[in-house]
Amino acid sequence: MSAQTMIRRPSWFTVVGVLGVVAMAFTVWLGLWITPPDQFQGNLARLLYIHPAIATVALYWVGLVAAGGSLLYLWPRTRSLFWDRLAAASVEVGAVFAALTLVTGSLWGRPVWGVWWTWDARLTSTALLLLLEIGYLALRRVPADPAIRARRCAVAALLIAIDIPIVHFSVDWWNTLHQGGTFIDPGFQIHASPSMSWTFLLGFVAFSLLFVWFLGVRYQVEVLQDAIGDQELEVSLSERWSEDTDLVGAAASAPTPGPGTGAP
Amino acid sequence: MSYVDAGYAIALGSLLVYAVSLVLRRRRWERALRMSEPAVEADAAPAGSEPS
Repeated sequence: MSAQTMIRRPSWFTVVGVLGVVAMAFTVWLGLWITPPDQFQGNLARLLYIHPAIATVALYWVGLVAAGGSLLYLWPRTRSLFWDRLAAASVEVGAVFAALTLVTGSLWGRPVWGVWWTWDARLTSTALLLLLEIGYLALRRVPADPAIRARRCAVAALLIAIDIPIVHFSVDWWNTLHQGGTFIDPGFQIHASPSMSWTFLLGFVAFSLLFVWFLGVRYQVEVLQDAIGDQELEVSLSERWSEDTDLVGAAASAPTPGPGTGAP
Repeated sequence: MSYVDAGYAIALGSLLVYAVSLVLRRRRWERALRMSEPAVEADAAPAGSEPS
């Protein structure tokens, strides 16, 4: 594959990025200026237009792409470095979103719960997810053959994915400080005014679109890194090959030592 | 600054910084690829065309 082919960017990709930025601008405008303060939480509820949306990306979208990509890589029929790169790109983006989930949650928790941090099941399992993702990224930097690295990382991603249902069900399995669903109950009844509900929904769309754009750019970086790695390997091999050829040529042209020349 | 302002500023600011860093990384690797491609061809040609 030539450099020009790898550098090419599809136009839909730019459209997704632009739509993400526009949706985000509307979310911020509606969330900070248009929607009314909450009956109980006042202005603090405005943080809920971004925090659950960020957490959704960090947990579900990243989990889907990372675990799905890793499974498809490990499955012999669908094995391709495309899936490995996609999973790796998703984990890095996921680490950013997981960190933001913890920070925005902490900023909401301080005035509402009275603490920046507590060893609550939801918070702890989310922090564990972030640490595991950082571990995955460290594992990816360990030098290895691309196929070995891909297999190793795919297994690691699947192990990380075990934490995702734990984070999701933590509020049901344990008695936690973190509440369960607030806006939408199990019967899909929305408990908020229309402007709040639409802003909440738009936040999900905005962060999801941005996630797709981040994922695409990070995937391109991964492809380029691998291409450079392959080319470096090619250069090293060609250098080695020419050195070997020179050595063979020199050995062939060297005079053969005769008997009694002192050679052992 | 309120908790709400801080939350929005940190979230959006971090995503902006990450987006810029990704674009810069991509540009750097693209440049590196463009520069390395002729080098590979130049290096590979004499080795491949070695007669002996």
